[in-house]
Amino acid sequence: MKHSLEEKLSALYDGELNTNEVDEILDALAKDTDLQKKLSQYALVSSSINNSNNIQSIDSKKKSISYGFWFSNAITAAATVLLTFIAINQFEFSRMGEDISAKNKLNIAMSSKEAKDIVSKVEENLVDHVMHVINNPDLDNSTPYDVDLRNVGYNRLSSDGRRFNKGEKNFILRIEKKNLGINKVRYWRHGDKIIHVVPLADGRVITIYGNIDAQSAIKVANSISK
Amino acid sequence: MKNNSNSDDFLLIKKAQNGHEGAFNFLMTKYYPRVYASLYSYTKSREDSEDLTQQTFVKVWQQIKTFRGDSAFFTWVYRIAINLAKNHFVSSASKKDKLNISSSDIDIEFKTFTNPESDLMHDQSLKKIKEFIDKLPESLRTAFTLRESDGKSYEEIALITDTPIGTVRSRIFRARENILNFISKELDDEA
Repeated sequence: MKHSLEEKLSALYDGELNTNEVDEILDALAKDTDLQKKLSQYALVSSSINNSNNIQSIDSKKKSISYGFWFSNAITAAATVLLTFIAINQFEFSRMGEDISAKNKLNIAMSSKEAKDIVSKVEENLVDHVMHVINNPDLDNSTPYDVDLRNVGYNRLSSDGRRFNKGEKNFILRIEKKNLGINKVRYWRHGDKIIHVVPLADGRVITIYGNIDAQSAIKVANSISK
Repeated sequence: MKNNSNSDDFLLIKKAQNGHEGAFNFLMTKYYPRVYASLYSYTKSREDSEDLTQQTFVKVWQQIKTFRGDSAFFTWVYRIAINLAKNHFVSSASKKDKLNISSSDIDIEFKTFTNPESDLMHDQSLKKIKEFIDKLPESLRTAFTLRESDGKSYEEIALITDTPIGTVRSRIFRARENILNFISKELDDEA
């Protein structure tokens, strides 16, 4: 019985339970602290495995602000942490041509509230874009299935038209018509992968997500821009 | 709210939107470590990250009805968290206001305790966990990795591994159990 509940909990954690079973688990969770703890542990393990870089151990402080819900102790101790993703660098990508955000830059120079809002919006859009790529790497209706990167040494994986590899390097490619308001390559680290966002002069944005360094990603982007 | 493949948490979100506290707790427990991680990368402060994470989930609870499913749930939560973090830095008074939330406005309980698990996730321990995962029986490792690292659905994993969905579900569960047992043993050995 316990085993069955725990297996269902694991499935619900993955969003793979039907409506009736969801209710059963939520009811059980409300009463069973061991089950609550197990859920917390699933979350910790998952977060840790997927964010292996920059892991931090945090000493949870003793604090209790009490009111209504169960909220498992173990999770708050989830004071474990790891960098989900951070912008680690940026640089000019002049080879990609014209400055596509000159207007934004002028506004930034003006330091007006509007300019600050634009900067904030750009960052928000970027965050949305990056999070979307991380959470839905395969949800992509824009990228053509026939991109050929053999000229820079990458083979298309037969199982998926948008995945490429060369030896140890492998990545998912997205090419989208999208104005993210950037004129520089931006890249983020997510676990052991890097997300490179490359704006092209023609208004497209190339996103390369995987085990690939910046220099190689730029080579790939350059080959697509030609 | 859209019910698409974008949302593994569709049922839970829907319930939370209808005021189901247990469903919200589930979501909060699931995403707490990731939100904390994001905020820590932003604030570089454990205390601020913890406070902001709590504020984030208070706000998520207050605003969950406005979530329409246009993005993944975590993306939406993440934006709330980052906006709170930005405000935290912008407002010089923010420190005073932190967690100054009336319990009549919200109805959520946050309790934090020291916990050995928080000490577990040192780099070294994480390395051991990863090594342990590598040593799992192939069938468990494949199912678990496809789910956790690649975000594949059970149906996709079933197709890839040519096994019934029920078997996939069982393998992922067994992999998790093995990992938690390993962690528990590691803690015992260190104690």
